[in-house]
Amino acid sequence: MTVQIEQEPPQTLMSIEWRITVNSMMRSRRGMALATAAGSLLILSGCSAGTEGTETDVTSDAGSTETPDSSAGGTCAPEEIQLIGQVRNETNPYEKAWLDGGDAFAESVGLTQTRLTYDGESPKQQEQLRQTLSTGNPECMVLNVLPNGDSDTAPIVAEVDAAGAYLVTHWNKPADLNPWDGHDTWISHITFDGVDAGAQIADAIFEEMGGEGGIIALQGILDTSAAKDRFIGLENSLEANPGITLLDQQAADFDRTSAFNITKTLITKHGDEIKGVWAANDDMALGALQALEAAGMSDVAVAGIDAVPEAVQAVADGTMTATVSVDGPWQGGIGLAMGYCVLTGGLDMADVTQEQRAFFARQTLISAENAEENLTPTANLADFECGNLFDRVTGPVS
Amino acid sequence: MSAPAEAPVLAVHDVRKTFGETTALDGLSFEVRRHEVVGLIGENGAGKSTLLKMLIGLEQPDSGSIALRGEQIKMRGIAQAGAAGIGMVFQEQSLIPNLTVAENILFGAEGDAIVGGMYRWKTLRQRAQAQLDKIGSTIDVDAMAEDLTFAERQLVEIAKVLATEERTNAEPVVLLDEPTSVLDRDEAEVLFAQIERLRTRASVVFVSHRLDEVLQVSDRVYVLRNGSSVAECVPGEVDEAELRRLMIGRDLEGSHYSEERQLPVQDEVRLRVRDLSVKGVCESVDFDLHVGEILGIAGVQGSGREELCRGIFGASATRGSLEMDGRPIRTSSPRSAISSDIGFVPAERRREGMVGTMSVAENITLPHIADVCAGPVLQRSKERRLADDWIERLRIRTASAAAPLASLSGGNQQKAVLARWMVSDSLKLLILDHPTRGLDVGAKSEVYRLIRELTASGVSVLLMADSLEELIAMSHRVLVMKDGRVTDVVDAPVGAKPTPVTVLERMI
Amino acid sequence: MAPARLGQAPPETGRAPARSRRRASLLADYGPLGALVLLCLTFSVLSPQFATWGNLRNVLDSAAVLAVITVGLTFVLMLGAIDLSIEGVMATAALSVALLIANTRNDIDLGFLAIVAAVALGACFGLATGLLSTGLKIPSFMTTLGMSAIGIGIATVLFAGVQPSVTSPAMGEWASGQWFGLTRLTFVAIGVVIVGLLVQHYTRLGRYARAIGGAEDLALLSGIRVRRYKTIAFTFAGAVYGLAGVMVTIQLGSGIVQAGVGQNFAAITAAVVGGTLLSGGRGGVLHSIVGVLIVTVLVNGLVLIGVSPYVQGAVQGVIVVAAVAITAWPLRQRLRVVK
Repeated sequence: MTVQIEQEPPQTLMSIEWRITVNSMMRSRRGMALATAAGSLLILSGCSAGTEGTETDVTSDAGSTETPDSSAGGTCAPEEIQLIGQVRNETNPYEKAWLDGGDAFAESVGLTQTRLTYDGESPKQQEQLRQTLSTGNPECMVLNVLPNGDSDTAPIVAEVDAAGAYLVTHWNKPADLNPWDGHDTWISHITFDGVDAGAQIADAIFEEMGGEGGIIALQGILDTSAAKDRFIGLENSLEANPGITLLDQQAADFDRTSAFNITKTLITKHGDEIKGVWAANDDMALGALQALEAAGMSDVAVAGIDAVPEAVQAVADGTMTATVSVDGPWQGGIGLAMGYCVLTGGLDMADVTQEQRAFFARQTLISAENAEENLTPTANLADFECGNLFDRVTGPVS
Repeated sequence: MSAPAEAPVLAVHDVRKTFGETTALDGLSFEVRRHEVVGLIGENGAGKSTLLKMLIGLEQPDSGSIALRGEQIKMRGIAQAGAAGIGMVFQEQSLIPNLTVAENILFGAEGDAIVGGMYRWKTLRQRAQAQLDKIGSTIDVDAMAEDLTFAERQLVEIAKVLATEERTNAEPVVLLDEPTSVLDRDEAEVLFAQIERLRTRASVVFVSHRLDEVLQVSDRVYVLRNGSSVAECVPGEVDEAELRRLMIGRDLEGSHYSEERQLPVQDEVRLRVRDLSVKGVCESVDFDLHVGEILGIAGVQGSGREELCRGIFGASATRGSLEMDGRPIRTSSPRSAISSDIGFVPAERRREGMVGTMSVAENITLPHIADVCAGPVLQRSKERRLADDWIERLRIRTASAAAPLASLSGGNQQKAVLARWMVSDSLKLLILDHPTRGLDVGAKSEVYRLIRELTASGVSVLLMADSLEELIAMSHRVLVMKDGRVTDVVDAPVGAKPTPVTVLERMI
Repeated sequence: MAPARLGQAPPETGRAPARSRRRASLLADYGPLGALVLLCLTFSVLSPQFATWGNLRNVLDSAAVLAVITVGLTFVLMLGAIDLSIEGVMATAALSVALLIANTRNDIDLGFLAIVAAVALGACFGLATGLLSTGLKIPSFMTTLGMSAIGIGIATVLFAGVQPSVTSPAMGEWASGQWFGLTRLTFVAIGVVIVGLLVQHYTRLGRYARAIGGAEDLALLSGIRVRRYKTIAFTFAGAVYGLAGVMVTIQLGSGIVQAGVGQNFAAITAAVVGGTLLSGGRGGVLHSIVGVLIVTVLVNGLVLIGVSPYVQGAVQGVIVVAAVAITAWPLRQRLRVVK
């Protein structure tokens, strides 16, 4: 049984302790001792919170929490709101920029963002969220989360539903789990169209090649939806460009070193026939670039996706053709902004359309023309104003 | 010792078994009668192990037959042998240490103690207890096997074999493979009493290196040599020397223990031990070891003799004082003991005595690698010459100095282990912990000869041996230990060796 | 020190298996080499580009980093220990060398000293692993796993969200420059392999590593300072991983936290495929290098003969398992316990 108590008046705490005790007395004496100890701990945490509290919720099963009154003009005082951003880790520029975007938004409203990273481990992500939800007033929390995989989203949503916190998810969710199916505080799910991104960079390379010649494709980890979608985009573009042949496609697992080694092997195999390299992310594009350089092949068109700084720099320098930006700082800020607006009354959940609750967001092709301005991706605070939250919606998630 | 007319319980007839070019069994025949204890002796390689493996289904004969209670049987695996009522008490004990006694006894033969994949603990305990009752043991069926002493584990193994009775409704055949090799003398006596009890309900095959034991417990003894039975003897009609001669098929050069080469003790004291204690196991031990002397240490398990020797070598923490050639020394680690010119040959050769995957040469130079090094760089050719020299001097039979030590026979391995310490010209004291354990008779006498040679060159030896007979024969004096204290010192000069009984009385 | 146990007398195996045992150990030593030759022959038949000078260069260049890592790992494996710290040590080395040499993030430029510093840093990791494992008697599995996490942690802090790209022209030369048609890094790897072989054959460290791995109790009783030599072996390995981190940084032109991702497992696989056993005491640098080549040739060959990327992983797995099984076939014994 999970007990959620924060900011309890003392008399209710007594009754909780009593109930736990009676409950466990039926089992064993040792269990009773533990329960008593747990009860005392709860008193401590309750007291230290110190402020006047909401209703006690001892039963704590999912769904028992009352949904906050959505018509009210703000249920939390702005300074009470807790902003939490959670990504896998900070070892890559994209997720780092994401959290920085969250910080930028938090600062603009006079708050700080709690930065959480879970090292790509699903259990750790769940545990972190559970802990976070139990250490504050969940009803004034906004969580902007990158779920580790599709299957991690359901438990996250269940946890957040039970606690009553506001949630925005990115990238991963099962197709049959949607915010509008009774998840009142799951504001939105934001993702990007991989097919579109794959096609955008393919078109950019083909144009650079003059519509003719052979290319090689470096795929990501084959069983991820990102890798699948992006490759479909490439295939679509190939159909539209009969002058281009796909010489070879290999999986380089989104990894720079493997891309480097595989590209070298493919250069051995296909030699000068290679006029373009399509990579499912920038890391692989950069690895391929390095291999091409080592082979003295400088006129090959290379493109990737994600707009990591090094790739953007390479595009600006002219060594790479293009990359696609999903705008990490925007993702980091937008989820927090949505929750903040709801909690402070700037956005009414009743006004949010179904399309806005699970949407593809706009992504930008970065090519030689606009590379310079994208060198240091920063959040544009205007995007986070309550009226502009859904400006980047390009369509519903199918 | 009577020979009843009924058919033998187990009859092996003319079995042959070859491995590649080696003939392990060459037309061997032997039989075991009802309620009889049959002794099997032979040098290593004589075919004992292969025969035993065959009897429990681990090997199949190339030709010949095995008959159990008059019926020809073919066994493929221990499980089938067990079902037929033949069980072995392994030399390398086969209990699973982290299971209880009850689980071990019925392991693989749980029968109705497992229902639908679940243990029925009550049934299991009851049935295991019934087996232990047969041998009058009081071992707790819920004890973990690893918490038992070696002697207790052996009893559990015997109980395990007896459990086959339940399934076969016939008296089992119990194979005891070197059962006393892990026991001290008093424990062995308990085992012999147990064998007497066992024979009232089973037939027993007893395999041992210790000829005195074989003579003591067996009704008949088969001597194996080169894969066949060369003699069938009745104890009382033969003595140990005769058995030994039958085993190796020739008279040993000189005496087995090279006693004629035992030189008189010199007056000069090599190692003076005063008030030496090893925490919890032995206390204030005093003795003097003279130059060129072999001092045997006798004692039962738990007497503290192993720990004492390890303490002197710096492998256990000690208090007290040591003097080498009149100068005080401290042996806080094996390293410091080695720099004080002490060497140590541990009992467990495989684990502590050698690196099987390293070559003969590498094993020999291990503790004195500085001798074949220039700074940090090894001089492999120098090492090779040194090793070749010792291989020749000790007559180590190996393909080359570069052959892995594990590829040599046990006796030759042990010679290489001894060479490791003999390499050092300055060696003053060698501690030998059961140096002949697991070796066959021929290899043993070679090791004895080497020890004699060492002492002739002035090296002193502290010896713990497999049998009292060996210990007394080899030593100038025997230090008797009991409960961590020295209780007596018995002189053992050539021609006036004390009897084992004299020493045994002081041990217990 | 454990008191002398009255253990079992060592079982004698008799004379029979001696010959086959010798044959077995021969196969264990040369089996992997045979497997490598067989793989090369097969790929040569299936792909015209495989047996070309260009592809040989390619294979050698691709194997360089893994070879360096595996040399270090081999000493740890020979001890009977395991090393899971490779990814962390390489990450820290990669980031520190990128930040200490002319780069896009700061104005520090130590030149060649930066490489020395990164290698030294790797050695410090190894030293720490060694001291923790021997001093506190923590299994190396745990200490090295911890070290890996620490290394990745430090690297993440150093990374601070912006990838440092190396701008030093000298490093660029090392990345693309060639001698005799091979990249310079390949010669670095060959150098490390030679050093590894010399250490293994001609120094006490090599000898003692095998002795400790073969029978640690004996090593102690022979007066070998086991703890010291274990620590030295870990330190040597750490330094080598540091160098590998530097090599990856030079190859990629920037310091990334993921410099060593996947290498730990690849190196262990290579060492074991080559015949360096995880139980210690067996194998060596040469064995491990043969393993590295097998793994590299496999990846290269499968791409060249055009095996679909969707099944490559499975095909690699099957071939590796088959190679190990064939090599280990004569070593199998009835009742031999394999864990």
